[in-house]
Amino acid sequence: MPDAMTVFDRRVLRLRRDRAAATLAGHDFLYREVADRLADRLDDVRRRFLLALDLGCHTGTLATALRGRGGIETLVNCDVAPGMVALAPPPAVAGDEEALPFADGAFDLILSVLSLHWVNDLPGALAQIRRALRPDGLFLAAMLGGQTLKELRQVLADAEIAAEGGLSPRVSPFVGVRDAGNLLQRAGFALPVVDAEVITVSYSDPLRLIEDIRGMGEANVAIERRRQFARRATLFDAVARYRDRYADDRGRIPATFQVIYLTAWAPDPSQPKPLRRGSARSSLAAALATPETPTEGAGGAG
Amino acid sequence: MVKKSVDPKLLEILVCPLTKGPLRYDAERQELISDQAGLIYPIRDGIPIMLVDEARPIKDIVAGDPPATPQPTGRP
Repeated sequence: MPDAMTVFDRRVLRLRRDRAAATLAGHDFLYREVADRLADRLDDVRRRFLLALDLGCHTGTLATALRGRGGIETLVNCDVAPGMVALAPPPAVAGDEEALPFADGAFDLILSVLSLHWVNDLPGALAQIRRALRPDGLFLAAMLGGQTLKELRQVLADAEIAAEGGLSPRVSPFVGVRDAGNLLQRAGFALPVVDAEVITVSYSDPLRLIEDIRGMGEANVAIERRRQFARRATLFDAVARYRDRYADDRGRIPATFQVIYLTAWAPDPSQPKPLRRGSARSSLAAALATPETPTEGAGGAG
Repeated sequence: MVKKSVDPKLLEILVCPLTKGPLRYDAERQELISDQAGLIYPIRDGIPIMLVDEARPIKDIVAGDPPATPQPTGRP
């Protein structure tokens, strides 16, 4: 019986990914795009990484994007779906983000492209990721954020309410930017940075979008999802609503994907830290060359 | 066909996903054994399958296997 923390059915996710693996190449543009962007970010970090991990590697999209870049000597590919891992370059291992099979301090770098949005216990997964990093190891991940597929969610909800008088979760819930920052801190990471960008993909037809989502193995795996597909009529109504509401003058429709980037380091004494409050030795007023105005009742730092 | 063997770099860093405890590598059977969890993780085509769902309990060997290996308990 799933408890309140268990939103996603990891077994279903694995089956979806296993099934999607063989034909992923036709639908993985989003993985490739985000893998490229993550590789660019890694290029900005001037460092050598002896052993790195791609967590949720799918078929090794990031390994392809990184080939010869990023200062990585060995990249371990890991995915929850054995069918995906089998297509990724070695060394590869099947493993679950929710129960990582890696020793403490195993990696200098852990990367992840569009996989962590399926994790039920994200704080727990982040804590495990931090433990698997060496001190001063880097965690750099891209995950889907709360604005992802907002158009599709809206029209599906409207169509379903109109036709069936109720609403069931058709698209999985996503994490927000602020949540992600807090979670990194709670997991014990140092110097966490979170930022987000929106990638808008233009489609000729909403049905092509739905094909791509299924083709990536990304169809909803929320436990509360209904066991049957949306009724055909409801789906067609949603597609019509999508066109009516969002199509541009050439008849193309946009699909929003929000990508949240997480950057954080495993704590190490060598990292910069804020000074203790009140330990300043020169006054801000002097630095700004303005007269100092003492505040009433406050114990000034001086 | 020659079986792909598992990368030694992986063997150094893998632990049991359930207990985070050490694993024993059975090169002959291509398996990773977690004594703490009492589970055996398969290695398929050189890929360790570190999923609890895919592991089988250790007692299966003792109870169910034919005596193909002469000394199943003789390992250090």
